[in-house]
Amino acid sequence: MKEGRFRSATEGRLSLIDRLARSLTWPRFIFALTLIFFLTSILFPFYWMVSSSFKSFAEIAGRRPAYVPSALRLDAYKALFDPNFTGFQDFGVNILNSIKVAVPTAIIAVIISTLGAYAVARLRFKGKAFLLNGILLVYLFPAVLLIIPLFAMLTQIGRSLGFSVQDNLPILMVTYLAQTLPVALYMLANYFRTIPAEIEQASLIDGCSRFSVIWRITLPLSIPALVSVAIYTFMIAWNEFLYALVFLNSSSMFTMPIKINAIFNSPDPRPQVVMAASTIMTIPVVILFLALQRFLEEGLTAGGVKG
Amino acid sequence: MAGGFADGARPVLTRWSSLRARESRLAWLLTSPTGLVVFGLVIFPAIFSIWISFHDVTLRNLNDVFHAPFVGLENYRNVVNDFAFKFQNLRQWGAAVTSVVYSFAATTLTVLIGLIAALLLNRPFRGRGLTRAIFLFPYVAPIVSVAFVWRWILDPRPSGVLNDILMRLGLIGAPKAYLATRGLALLLVIIFEAWRYFPFAMLMILARLQAVNNALYEAASVDGASAWQKFRNITLPELRYVLGAVFLLRLIWTFNKFDDIFLLTGGGFGTNVLPVLTYQFSFRAFNFGKGAANAMILLGILAIFLIVYARTVMRERG
Repeated sequence: MKEGRFRSATEGRLSLIDRLARSLTWPRFIFALTLIFFLTSILFPFYWMVSSSFKSFAEIAGRRPAYVPSALRLDAYKALFDPNFTGFQDFGVNILNSIKVAVPTAIIAVIISTLGAYAVARLRFKGKAFLLNGILLVYLFPAVLLIIPLFAMLTQIGRSLGFSVQDNLPILMVTYLAQTLPVALYMLANYFRTIPAEIEQASLIDGCSRFSVIWRITLPLSIPALVSVAIYTFMIAWNEFLYALVFLNSSSMFTMPIKINAIFNSPDPRPQVVMAASTIMTIPVVILFLALQRFLEEGLTAGGVKG
Repeated sequence: MAGGFADGARPVLTRWSSLRARESRLAWLLTSPTGLVVFGLVIFPAIFSIWISFHDVTLRNLNDVFHAPFVGLENYRNVVNDFAFKFQNLRQWGAAVTSVVYSFAATTLTVLIGLIAALLLNRPFRGRGLTRAIFLFPYVAPIVSVAFVWRWILDPRPSGVLNDILMRLGLIGAPKAYLATRGLALLLVIIFEAWRYFPFAMLMILARLQAVNNALYEAASVDGASAWQKFRNITLPELRYVLGAVFLLRLIWTFNKFDDIFLLTGGGFGTNVLPVLTYQFSFRAFNFGKGAANAMILLGILAIFLIVYARTVMRERG
């Protein structure tokens, strides 16, 4: 009896190893190895960013890197937000500036592109191809080519209308509209085409005006698309670097990317503070993205972020 | 005699065309805000940029730009003769050659890694949804954050984490200044580009892969084809056009890209590319005419890519 039980146990163990050996074929092994390689090389920089933001100065400046912070120190975050902390950066203002630029960009881009996308998806008109091609041109022109004439042009307009282009967040927002509208229009037009035209035609025959059809039928059906376009344009404005670098001069008007660049390039570099600021800037974007992944991916493949 | 018709007797045709005219008017009304923004902030500036490239525009006369003196090809001559632009020898490539090499190498690597990632995610396994989401992180995260993390990982001191790992593994004897060594710096910005932008290629390729008819693979299995033969004779031909399209798009965007190199190396150590040089001419030296001329040359090279691409693709398609 005893021996029999022992034997069956060994057999069980053997078959487990056996099963493992059988399932671990070469292709599977290579597959797993590649997957692990991809995951580590993608996630390690993000781990390094978050973990470095919690490190003490000693851990940052040590002779060897500290792979795990010894405690969750908030010194770097205090340097960003606590006015009494040495090396205070007043980062709250910069977060606010980023929000002040990115939120209106998203809202206005959605409103304007909804109108345009509706016309492109539903109405027949002369010059549609011309308009669409003109918008596609935006993809071709490098931002760095457009920034020179924009800067000269806006300086000129600003001078005659009596405003300054420098440190002017609404002006920056307008230039972001130009970068985001084409993407927004394409995404929304693609979505509007998926809504059956018969629903709208029925209400048009019932005597509703075009605008009330858009307002009462098309828009409520498109809420998921509208939200993802809003998030999308928000992310573009939130991440933008070059235009903000050219248009913003004083630290109190910086958006987050420019402020982080300034902290990084300051004569007294503190990587942990840069990493803390980067973490703060990255987390909302990644969370928004994960929450809306399905919709956003369609946008990415539809021509997506110009980047 | 159109005016002769009484209201009620208007022919159907006229009423139909007035409906179409109304639709057309509405369409123009709806698209005009988009059109205005795109014209005012993209198309007009682009044309204005050509104008600037032929005029002497600096910080002095920026307030009175339209009266800037015409200088003909002077700006273009200055750019082409600038030591930062022109190819001098194999150690000093200049921005034009560096740009082309960098864009082609980075785009090739991006598409290749995107293809591998797409093939990985095309087979079912537990946790595929989450893995797919994680694979998109580098592309979604703000460029400033990821560029500075990379710089921090590539820190030249022995405390830099890549230096530490490679030294522990015995692969290097002494710490390396990755982003401040000619050659190595260019290689690393290329790897960075592939790391950041492979998800875009992956998504496009994955969408195409999932549309491939499974019967093709089944038929090949029946015929006893190996995995490599299936990849070579079914997958690759099916992906051909999407690979071409992704390559072209990424090539254009990489060639135009300013942020990545500016943040990683500032254009130093053999990594200066045309967009960064344009920025330096315009906003460091404040010579806007020279900057615009440099940008025009950039656009010209881009146009050559597009023409060559269109020609080869059209010839291939017959």
